[in-house]
Amino acid sequence: MQPDWQIPRYGLAWLLIAYVGAIIPHMAHLPIWLIVTTIAALVWRIQIYRSTWRYPNAREKLLLLLLLTGGLLIHYGRFSGLDPMVALLVSAFTMKLLEMHRKRDVYVVVLLSYFVSAITCLYFQTIPAAIYVLFALIPVTAALIALHQSHGIAFAAPLRHATIVLLQSIPLMLILFLIMPRLGSLWAVPQQNRAVTGISDTMSPGDFTRLGRSAKTAFRVTFDGPLPARRQLYWRGLTLTQFDGRSWWQGGWQSVQMQGKPAQPWDQLIEREGQPLAYRITMEPSHARWLFALSTPLPLSEGIGLTRDFNLRSARKIFSKQHYSVTSWLKHKLESGELALEVKRAALQLPEGFNPQTRAIARKWRSESATAEQLIERVLTLFNREYFYTLQPPLLGRHSVDEFLWQSKRGFCEHFAGSFVFFMRAAGVPARVVAGYQGGEIHPDQGYLTVRQYDAHAWAEVWLLERGWVRVDPTFAVAPQRIESSTLDALNEDEGFLSDSPLALVRYRNIDWLNRLRLQVEALDYAWAKWVLSYEQVQQQTLLSLLGKINPLRIGLLLLAGAIVGLLPWLIMAWLRNRREDRDELDRLYLKFCGRMARAGLPRQIGEAPSTYATRAAEAFPDAAKTLKLIARYYQVGRYRGDKVSSRQVKVLLRQLNNL
Amino acid sequence: MPIRLRKYFRGWLAKRIPQAKQVTLNHRNLFILPSKAGVAYLVLLVVLWLVATNYENNLIFAITFLLTALFVTGIHHTHAGLSGITLSAGKSSPAFCGEPCGFDIVLRHNGKQRRDGIQLFFRQGETAHVSLPEGELQRIVGVRLKSRHRGWFDPGRLTIESVYPLGLFRVWSHIKLDTQALVYPRPMEGEAISRTGPSTGNGRLNAMTGSEDFIGLDRYRSGQSLRHVAWKHYAREQGFLTKYYADFQDQNLWLDWDSLPGRDREARLSMLCGQLLALAEQQFSYGLRLPGIVIQPGQGDAHRDKLLKALALFEGAFVAGQGSNAA
Repeated sequence: MQPDWQIPRYGLAWLLIAYVGAIIPHMAHLPIWLIVTTIAALVWRIQIYRSTWRYPNAREKLLLLLLLTGGLLIHYGRFSGLDPMVALLVSAFTMKLLEMHRKRDVYVVVLLSYFVSAITCLYFQTIPAAIYVLFALIPVTAALIALHQSHGIAFAAPLRHATIVLLQSIPLMLILFLIMPRLGSLWAVPQQNRAVTGISDTMSPGDFTRLGRSAKTAFRVTFDGPLPARRQLYWRGLTLTQFDGRSWWQGGWQSVQMQGKPAQPWDQLIEREGQPLAYRITMEPSHARWLFALSTPLPLSEGIGLTRDFNLRSARKIFSKQHYSVTSWLKHKLESGELALEVKRAALQLPEGFNPQTRAIARKWRSESATAEQLIERVLTLFNREYFYTLQPPLLGRHSVDEFLWQSKRGFCEHFAGSFVFFMRAAGVPARVVAGYQGGEIHPDQGYLTVRQYDAHAWAEVWLLERGWVRVDPTFAVAPQRIESSTLDALNEDEGFLSDSPLALVRYRNIDWLNRLRLQVEALDYAWAKWVLSYEQVQQQTLLSLLGKINPLRIGLLLLAGAIVGLLPWLIMAWLRNRREDRDELDRLYLKFCGRMARAGLPRQIGEAPSTYATRAAEAFPDAAKTLKLIARYYQVGRYRGDKVSSRQVKVLLRQLNNL
Repeated sequence: MPIRLRKYFRGWLAKRIPQAKQVTLNHRNLFILPSKAGVAYLVLLVVLWLVATNYENNLIFAITFLLTALFVTGIHHTHAGLSGITLSAGKSSPAFCGEPCGFDIVLRHNGKQRRDGIQLFFRQGETAHVSLPEGELQRIVGVRLKSRHRGWFDPGRLTIESVYPLGLFRVWSHIKLDTQALVYPRPMEGEAISRTGPSTGNGRLNAMTGSEDFIGLDRYRSGQSLRHVAWKHYAREQGFLTKYYADFQDQNLWLDWDSLPGRDREARLSMLCGQLLALAEQQFSYGLRLPGIVIQPGQGDAHRDKLLKALALFEGAFVAGQGSNAA
């Protein structure tokens, strides 16, 4: 490294382009002042290059460092967490850009550009984002190349070179991607804490209404066999047992029975009947641990357990798309015959001092009904006659259930489910709210099911002595089309529906070509999620089926095989090149002749001319004298006199030599 | 590196890449290892891999693997940057001891691809930067190395290296070409020439007065003009000496080993060299007398070089190799 080393002009230009390309996608989650600082640093850097401004001195650098770290500390209040770490990284990147003048600094900036570009994928995992990052790597590589190029090369030359080198790297990358084992998270890492649309573990009035405004995908399902009937597609996620007069939330059911561990006692509470239904679910990132499945599920994938209330629970929060396989028995009985005391107590819990009117009516109706079933029937009939299903229900006051049931009578699923469970509990029937999704859109070509946020649904479960926990969906009584066709049909006229997704293509599903386009894009997206974003699960299954049980030896062998396959293109290329170099048949012939003679104990002496050598060889092997002399003669004529030698003749001689 | 190891390495290198008139670089004589930047890049790959693993993010895995593949591709490209170049020694320019000699290195390649960022240097020598544009089949590069001793100077192994294009790898070879340069004694000037003048010998050198060019001093002989007596030397009690001046027509001057007694060989040679250069500049006709060597007086650059070569190769000179292609 020379002390007077100067960054090559184009090297710097490409570096700045690479830098901008790396920063742009992060603008979405960086504080605005940091972006301004970054742009200022960029301008400063260009001015340094133009010798208009100078490098920052030590005091200015310290000041900038303090300002940036102070700013970050004030903005985020901490340095843990993904966003502050990325912001810190970008700040360091910016500082380094400013003080870069030695070759080593330039390398640091190049490596940081690679890194900052790569971690874009922590935030965005869509196909366009992946393509963007791929393209962002080109100028970084171009900068690296431009650094080592001599002067007088065209500005675009490094870009072309970088593109070629990257394209050549793709085969090996694909092989590595396919075979390199994914170890799974080694330690807990900070995740971005951003609110994600989806079902939460509490249910307050308005929560599900909000979800109804979003057309984002929640998860997708591929069934191994035929799809069950639409009205059976209740994707159970959480049971909410605790009620404080306004919100419902989970009880103490978080304890999880992880797969692979000894079966928990509550597994015996499930009576599974009939044919199991097998399917795979691809979850979108929900930043939560609960998973969705048809009741009653048995998880098949690693890291998923069954909770006491028979829901699936992931060992870790879902921060990236995740696949899991489940088997469900649609016909089942849960906890029939006897309900554990603490479960029963929770399922009857009601806050004191709320909704007196409903309590009174519930007690009255209970005494008028012979069985719990009769009571349920009566409430559902009431819903069916007098209630409206809408995304824009009126606001409710302190006695929300009373107001809803006997005054406004307009609500979304959460109102129906919540008040139904309240009513049942008040009547002494154990009941709980279930939160999840209902239905989904079937892709006409691919056959998989897409469940969106607007499919979010809340329903109820009541406990009956003989039948155990039984699903009751009061919404079905009010708006059967919601369950039987789709949310879209039930709410299409409703103003609030999809109001957060004004451009959602789902809205325009009546325009045929647009709808087809939308379905194709969705299929592509699903394939992307399944084969790329969650590749490790496909890989694991393939490995399992190929290798059986995974052990280090087998992984090693697989890696070795992969390395050989990966190196194959190079070997072939090297072989082809060697052949090309040896294409000169004359050389080959003569070299072969020398080789044969050397093996026969007559090596060519250093500086010995072909003719002399051939004479010597002919004396030693008089039988072949003619061929040997001819070879030398041809070689001399072709090589030294530069005459064209017939390639057929050479071939003949080669054959003769081989036959000796 | 311990000396034994270095010795062993040298022996190994001598066997692997023996001295030759020309060397074609290929996988047998090229070495390739990650550069410092390459090691830093590897660290980046590990960090990215950890991020991908911990976040279970397959896109970051894909980028990590793409960059890994880029690293591997880089090996190939860097290696290809030197592979196929044929190097041979061109002319070498002589130098005075302690000054840099120039060794011309001829680089030839098939010209099918552009080669860039090539560096050539001898151990402890200056680095020459070369690029071979597409279509240019041959280029001659001068590589300079400070001479260390009089005689035939062998520059040792030539290092040719490159980190092009990515800078992540360094490919290099230490090749030994048949080349050496002639190194003349380090010229010594100043007082030496004025104190010892050219010998008058058999009276061949005699028209020394009257002209402008001062050559040296000699013992005063009776009958000589007092105008040229070196009074300063007389005052310093260094003897009664006459300053000699030469015309340039018919003077035959001798650079004589015997005129410089009482010094060691190298100092004598250095002084002779200095005198020689002074005379050559002034267009004298001059000859050289060394023990066992007499070169008759003459003029011109060729004559000067002949004398310089004689001085360079005088006994005790470093004579390694054949010295066939030196100028």
